[in-house]
Amino acid sequence: MLCLGAASARAQLTIEIIGGGADQLPITVLPFASEDKYQHRISEVVSADLARSGRFRLQEIGSVRPLPSEPAEVNYRYWKNRGSQTLVIGSVAERSDGKVEVRFRMLDTSKEVQVLGYAYTIVLPQMRAIAHKIADIIYEKLTGEPGVFSTRIAYVAKMPRRFELHVSDADGFNSQFILAHREPIISPAWSPDGTRIAYVSFEQRRSIVFVHNLVDGTRRVLAAFDGINSAPCWAPDGKRLAIALSKDGISQIYLIDADGGGVTRLTTSNAIDTEPSFSPDGKSLLFTSDRGGSPQIYRMSAAGNNVERMTFEGSYNVTPRYSPDGKAFAFIQRNQGRYRLAIMDLATRQTQILTDTSLDGSPAFAPNGRMILYASIVGGHGILAAVSSDGRIKQKITASAQDVREPAWGPLVGSR
Amino acid sequence: MKKILLACCVAVLVAGCGTKGGTQKAPIEQHDVLEPQKQQQQADEAAKQARIQQEQAELKRQLDEQKRKQEEAARQAEAEKPEVKPLPATSMSEKALADPATLLKEPGSPLSKRSVYYDFDAFNIKVEFQPMVEAHAKFLLEHKDFKVRIEGNCDERGSREYNLALGQRRADSVKRAMTLLGVPAKQIETVSFGSEKPKALGHDEEAWAENRRSDIVYPGVDTPQQ
Repeated sequence: MLCLGAASARAQLTIEIIGGGADQLPITVLPFASEDKYQHRISEVVSADLARSGRFRLQEIGSVRPLPSEPAEVNYRYWKNRGSQTLVIGSVAERSDGKVEVRFRMLDTSKEVQVLGYAYTIVLPQMRAIAHKIADIIYEKLTGEPGVFSTRIAYVAKMPRRFELHVSDADGFNSQFILAHREPIISPAWSPDGTRIAYVSFEQRRSIVFVHNLVDGTRRVLAAFDGINSAPCWAPDGKRLAIALSKDGISQIYLIDADGGGVTRLTTSNAIDTEPSFSPDGKSLLFTSDRGGSPQIYRMSAAGNNVERMTFEGSYNVTPRYSPDGKAFAFIQRNQGRYRLAIMDLATRQTQILTDTSLDGSPAFAPNGRMILYASIVGGHGILAAVSSDGRIKQKITASAQDVREPAWGPLVGSR
Repeated sequence: MKKILLACCVAVLVAGCGTKGGTQKAPIEQHDVLEPQKQQQQADEAAKQARIQQEQAELKRQLDEQKRKQEEAARQAEAEKPEVKPLPATSMSEKALADPATLLKEPGSPLSKRSVYYDFDAFNIKVEFQPMVEAHAKFLLEHKDFKVRIEGNCDERGSREYNLALGQRRADSVKRAMTLLGVPAKQIETVSFGSEKPKALGHDEEAWAENRRSDIVYPGVDTPQQ
């Protein structure tokens, strides 16, 4: 039942931007010379990436022809007057050895200079990847933060007769399932280096945690103790995971080596402790516990000491996830019967509700902390959605699959 | 009985095919080089044999399919039996004495009930389900060779991982109630499906109430032995 690299068009994701941020930067991305000879047009992929981030306003190209693809051909004043401080030009050319050269330049229309420019030699299947890389470079240059367009996401698609664990590009393209089974799959978690995904599979009719190697497609059991084996979360060093096990009674949090050895108990309560989330520095963990009578979010040291309750508002606060900078955490809060994605600033302890849906779950930060991907149920169907961590930009991600759920955003490492 | 007959048919077909091919091939082999006509005949014969073998394989597949369907139908018929059976005069019918599993399917008896329902985010066994849990405990005490699997479930709301832990607590609380009544722990297995295997598929209170549930499952009685 282990399926590798099999594409499933049925689970392809479509991303629709609902809201837009204020202070969007105007930018013009011109079609790259000769790009329309290829299935994936570089400028379209770059434009879609930048638009999806909610931080750019993509300007119309207008009717002037021919369009420039080299700096010498650019009439800076014309593009400046059209409202763009930034102009992106480029070209695609096939070389005699069959490889493709992609050149791009980012120009400042006020200063009439090139801000940056690169040429890449690629093979055809890398066309989208190089477009994402170009978008990342533009994004980082203009916002000062790393772009996440070259990253990957994982999610679970519930098909009519089976569950599929998918890995796709961050824009939903190139979706492939790495595991398919008629029994449920939940809680995918990327290793910090992006080469492995831990997840919970019910394929043996109970919850067992596996670690799946994306490079060679092999996998191994991480935890299959009596009772539940669940909620894997990688430590930042990638050597250990925090995990929830009920082998000693009620679900408690343990540390386990990535090879399944060295199990150490971290919590000792007479209540449910689950959903550990490592801080980026690896020094503390957030987790969910009902030790106070209702599920709430707590924080403790990575050694299991200094337990502190973090949430007090309402009787159901679950699924904490540290932001990549460690300064905030996303979680799910029940409020008047609605389960919504919220974020708490650790310095001020202020909570902001980010969504207006009512059955949210499984938040996952983008590795630059800008967006939070999450699952929700809308119109009886499982969907994925994303919201910026300030709540201003919203995306709805739908799939032709019956249900999509359990998103996990892969790391920046290895993709840049 | 039918199953055995079918299996025999398949066996005979397969065996027959083997002997026929074997006996006809041997003598032809000596002549085929000399007589082109016979060579053609042999080729024809080989093609025919291949066709027959293909047809027989297809037939075997169909028979297997049929057999599977009949077994499925038999299983379904077995599962539906209690509904069509007339009520026995006493709960200890002759058959029940012979097969204790019948007790578990006696309509109206607490043993025929299998599910404990819960309030949201709760795992305590409500008063109305205690007699049923006690009846199963008594049955397990009296029938040491029977085992149960208690499956804890939750509604879809909130966290999947928290629900997985809660489902385990629900199943474990039923197990604990039974062990307190003296049932050896080794007769009881627990598992949590959290909110992953909802019985009711809706997204409303009715579906949620149905899904906040522990099921007491007798492997081999309620489901095929695993």
